[in-house]
Amino acid sequence: MTATSSKVTRVIGYSALAFTALALLFGLVISGPEVNMRDSVRLLYVHVPSILTAYLCFGITLVGSVIYLRNRSTFWDLVAGSAAEVGTLYLAFALITGAVWGKPTWGTYWEWDPRLTSTAVMFIMYLGYLALRRMELPHEVRSRRAAVLGVVNIINVIVVHYSVQWWRGLHQGRTFGLDPQIRDMQYFSWFLGTVALGLIAAWLIIHRFRVGWLERQLDEIHLEEALVERRGEGV
Amino acid sequence: MYWNFVAVGYVAVYGGVVAYALWLLARGRRLSSQVPEERRRFLD
Amino acid sequence: MTDLDLTPQDPRHPAASGLRSWRNWLIVFLLLAVAGVVLYQALTSARVYFLNVDEAVERRGELGDDTFNLQGTVTAEPRTEADGTMIFTVSFGGVDATVRHIGDEPSGLFRQGERVVAKGRWSDAASAEGDTPFVSDQVLVKHSEEYVEDNPDRVDYELDGNEIEIGAGIPDTVGAAASTPSLVT
Repeated sequence: MTATSSKVTRVIGYSALAFTALALLFGLVISGPEVNMRDSVRLLYVHVPSILTAYLCFGITLVGSVIYLRNRSTFWDLVAGSAAEVGTLYLAFALITGAVWGKPTWGTYWEWDPRLTSTAVMFIMYLGYLALRRMELPHEVRSRRAAVLGVVNIINVIVVHYSVQWWRGLHQGRTFGLDPQIRDMQYFSWFLGTVALGLIAAWLIIHRFRVGWLERQLDEIHLEEALVERRGEGV
Repeated sequence: MYWNFVAVGYVAVYGGVVAYALWLLARGRRLSSQVPEERRRFLD
Repeated sequence: MTDLDLTPQDPRHPAASGLRSWRNWLIVFLLLAVAGVVLYQALTSARVYFLNVDEAVERRGELGDDTFNLQGTVTAEPRTEADGTMIFTVSFGGVDATVRHIGDEPSGLFRQGERVVAKGRWSDAASAEGDTPFVSDQVLVKHSEEYVEDNPDRVDYELDGNEIEIGAGIPDTVGAAASTPSLVT
């Protein structure tokens, strides 16, 4: 048993493992290749879930930031920060899987296309958010500034999501909407990948939150010790 | 066809997740040994 | 030991507030500035310089030798000259253009019936055929958002009641023959 584990995280963790096994089985073995893309279509079963989970994480950051700005609770500050860190990791996954999908399909790892560029900008801005959270500032000041950025940064999600509709580019439009342009085993493989990566994200966010909580407690313990020490010196 | 690209993508994602998870668990374990029990309540 | 200050700083009142916070904000500002410039550059150039064949032909005069992205569907079997130059015709909105591509070979999905994006410019020199082609140094294959599983048991590649145009090409040029080779690769 580890320090940041609990019954909840163990249930989520084992479910995530089970769904990951299914996602790999269906995504890599059972589902067939695509008529044009051949096996590189399998990358979409991790690429699309990665970006969707990242969107969700940044949504949690938005909610946490808004609540923090209203009630200044450490809990929501840490929720916002934890979700942003996991979301940025998933965003990196989306960029990597997109690049290795793009090479065999488009013929290039990277193109300054609106969808790709806006995603890169989103990545930079959430890195900025994470950098801000690591600045040596008083807790309240840092958390407040992070919360403001956590709210402002959500614009990126909107720009990235609609970039394929607003501007012309290389990236294809929506496949996985209410009217999906993919079906049967391939759709199911994508669904399993989404559930697996979603559960993994939940597990990661909770553990990241608890690590953040412990960091905060340790800060306060050090502060108390320092105050006691200084009082001792004064006598 | 294109299995090498598929392998890179899957290893990056699932390998990245595992690496991050292990780092979190290790850091959590180390920090919690320095924080007394009564301050380890996470959800209040 | 005595001259070493091991006292933890009060996190609520860090000693270095003025200079450090100024530097911190500079980093954030620079990150934002870089992001803004990249976004502005990419989005404006994408809007101006991503032209379909019909638009590119219509605006040929004002484009001069500007570099832009030309989008169209490959309408004839591409051929390669002895010097490695690839020649093919792209079409969009009923307008054709000849592309002379010199550069890396396009991806394995490139073939007749595929939607492609060629980066290059209008040539001012006439080719042997007498037309002035679009000279490209990069050809990317644009995949549609429709994915069809290669299922040997099923003959109807049907989605939402519509017959799938394999490779999202324009209907009159997409023959079964054009796409068959990839199905058996």
